[in-house]
Amino acid sequence: MKIIVYLLITNKRFIAGVSVFLLIVFIGLIGPLLYPVDPLSFAGPMEMPPCGRYPLGTDTYGRDLLAQILVGTRTSLYIGFLTALIAISMGTIIGASAGIKGGIIDEVLMSITNVVLAIPSILLAILIASYIKVRSIEVIALLLGITGWPWYARAIRAQLMSLREREFVYLSKMAGYRDIELAFKDLLPNIATYTFMAFVLYINGGILSEAGLSIIGVGPTKGISLGLILQWASLMEAVRRGLWWWFVPPGAIITAITSSLMIVSVAMDEIFNPKLRGK
Amino acid sequence: MSSGLLNVIDVAAYYKQQVGASVKTIKAVDGVDLFLYEKEILGIVGESGSGKSTLAHVILMNIKKPLEFIRGTVRIYTGNNFLNLNSMSIEELRARVWGKEIALIPQSAMNALMPTLKIKRIILDIVKSHQDKVNEEDVIEKATKRFRELGLPEKAIDMYPFELSGGMRQRTVIAVATLLNPRILIADEPSSALDVVSQRMVLKTFYDLFRKNIIKSMIFISHDIATVRQIATDMCVMYAGKIVERGPTDDLVKRPLHPYAEGLINSIPSVEPEIRKRKLRYIPGQPPDLSNPPTGCRFHPRCPYTMDICRTKEPPALEVERKHLVSCWLYARR
Amino acid sequence: MLKVKNLTKIYELGFISKKRIVAVDNVSFEVRSSEIVSLVGESGSGKTTTAKIILRLLPPTSGNVLFENKDVWKDVRRREDRIDYWRKVHAVFQDPYSSYNPFYTIDRVLKQGVKLIGINPSSDKADEIINEALEYVGLNPSEVLGKYPHQLSGGQRQRVMIARCWIIKPKLILADEPVSMIDASMRVSIIELFEKLKKSYGSSTIFITHDMSLAYYISDRILVMYKGRIVDEGSPDDVINSPEHEYTKRLIASVPKLYQKWTL
Repeated sequence: MKIIVYLLITNKRFIAGVSVFLLIVFIGLIGPLLYPVDPLSFAGPMEMPPCGRYPLGTDTYGRDLLAQILVGTRTSLYIGFLTALIAISMGTIIGASAGIKGGIIDEVLMSITNVVLAIPSILLAILIASYIKVRSIEVIALLLGITGWPWYARAIRAQLMSLREREFVYLSKMAGYRDIELAFKDLLPNIATYTFMAFVLYINGGILSEAGLSIIGVGPTKGISLGLILQWASLMEAVRRGLWWWFVPPGAIITAITSSLMIVSVAMDEIFNPKLRGK
Repeated sequence: MSSGLLNVIDVAAYYKQQVGASVKTIKAVDGVDLFLYEKEILGIVGESGSGKSTLAHVILMNIKKPLEFIRGTVRIYTGNNFLNLNSMSIEELRARVWGKEIALIPQSAMNALMPTLKIKRIILDIVKSHQDKVNEEDVIEKATKRFRELGLPEKAIDMYPFELSGGMRQRTVIAVATLLNPRILIADEPSSALDVVSQRMVLKTFYDLFRKNIIKSMIFISHDIATVRQIATDMCVMYAGKIVERGPTDDLVKRPLHPYAEGLINSIPSVEPEIRKRKLRYIPGQPPDLSNPPTGCRFHPRCPYTMDICRTKEPPALEVERKHLVSCWLYARR
Repeated sequence: MLKVKNLTKIYELGFISKKRIVAVDNVSFEVRSSEIVSLVGESGSGKTTTAKIILRLLPPTSGNVLFENKDVWKDVRRREDRIDYWRKVHAVFQDPYSSYNPFYTIDRVLKQGVKLIGINPSSDKADEIINEALEYVGLNPSEVLGKYPHQLSGGQRQRVMIARCWIIKPKLILADEPVSMIDASMRVSIIELFEKLKKSYGSSTIFITHDMSLAYYISDRILVMYKGRIVDEGSPDDVINSPEHEYTKRLIASVPKLYQKWTL
């Protein structure tokens, strides 16, 4: 364990990625407290470029864009985490049950997995959008989580099925371990690193997917997220009209989050895989 | 008097590993002298970690990081000329030496065949990497003839690697590796992963190559002494990066001189009643850490006959009988 | 003590076009106490499958395994019965890499052994037993305890496994290729531990291997398996000097001898 932590801390890529990501988290958490302007109410003249009073300018409705960015970042991160939480929880339970138990449970769960895998999340989002007019952030996160768990469930099912046949599992069984004990003590710890990496990837995916859904108008209707800022920007044709302070900042932050998380997951892959091979 | 083919003089090659902040140097091959004549099959035996596989790569001068060549000469004789492999570049080696003068069959070679290519394609790829102008039909004809010579089914050329059994695959690898008739063939653990029946067939294939003069000499590296002695004319024993004894196979097996060689031979089970009576013995302790080998003779911590001089000075190689050399202070009082 | 009667294991693959693989084909043999019996065969001969069935890890398709006159699969059903069975019949597996869960130190396998014989693994008595076990197999406890599997050599890992067996002191040990991945010069010292357990505690070992030379050296009896069947049986000298089945003859002819050379 300690070796892994040491290797992570000394890996330059990991440090770079984590630093950028933590900076953004800091901005999202502390920002709105330091700049307590309501992002959704009228603050000043419309479509003003950045200046002293409005550091990131204002949008068509005269709302302060810096406030929008700060709260939006916090919201987007929140959606990412929530998506990851839902996807990992569901995926672990389904994948582990299928992989460890096998037999009929495996067949049933894998059929469900395949069905969910085939559902396009955008279509589902559009369907939901047409039926539920007021959609909270949590609903979107739920949607993304529920459509996102299959690939991870499959991956850990495969890993667990091969782990199940390893001799140390037999030895634990012969030492009197019950099935549950076997699952928790022998099998699941060996997929811990994979789960950790998947969690990071899900945060990433959640933020990007939410931005995608929001831009086309089927995202949350309450609150403000980076994707929603971009939606407003595109509705008001900010690109054509050169209102760069409206669409560049949210885009930049989404890119920063995505790249930093990608770098972190690459670094983790480097460190976890050779060790796993060596073990 | 058969002519010399290979002369290895005082070669050393170390692995440099990055461990955290420092660099660990593993002296895998540390001062090895070797000579090989025509019509010899030399067996190199030793435990894992003795440096035998590294030595194979050093003889070919196939040195890649983290392995570094420290010193020494590797000389091969090509008819009426000789080449110093240690002073040739990789491109030169690839163009003139590898596959043509010396060929290597590395460990697990049979598992390294590209599963999506037929044997035919693999053969063509290999030949193309050694020769510029290649007539495909010629090569296939030559390969088919060679397969026939070695008793391999000709239809194997049209098959995929997974269609062949382990023993067949290894024999195919051997046939392909020696297609360009190299003078020296080096095989690293060629039969360890096979069952005994396939193992015997593989050894027969090597012997056929040797008898039909397709190769002139061979170096057979393995930890399995009973297998090596079936084919080797001479054997040398490696321990902790050095060669401790070398001699004709029968002599070495029946009367090993070096205490390590003696311990090794005494620890081998065999289906012979003499062994059941003799009772097997084993060498206490473990092979040394090559990043910090013992001073003097590297075997002294585990040797039952250690003397004071063994702890401080490394014994030189002494010719005790004709063609039988030992590196041990026990034989120095002459 | 152990009677295997007409044991058969057939694997069926696929839903539509069923492919049958007969892994174990009507195998019968007996093992008495204080006996080392070797099951010799190449990979695919069914020896590991047979071992798993005897260990109550893989159910047979037909046939019986009787241990102390009780059917291992039919009479041993409840959890307590199964644990009791594993106290009497235990295993040492081949691959020193996957015998240990890389997540935990090697102490875990020893503590599991202590728990199996009914002693609290965190008690002082447990520590005493563990130390004694390690010394029995020739290991220095301070060099091995608290280490992770990858920090020990293959030989050390296998010795710890045998130490676990010493703690449990089963009547029957199934050793599946216990020294195949170990250096040739270390094999003898580890194999002799099974001999030691036999002499001190009467433990029998079913030694599964492809190495006829090793089997010849250590066994009281040899059983030769080929394609799921037992094709030859007898004392080591019997099997080597007067083999009956074609396969056995071929096998013995192909085993390299130290003092004799083949004509190739």
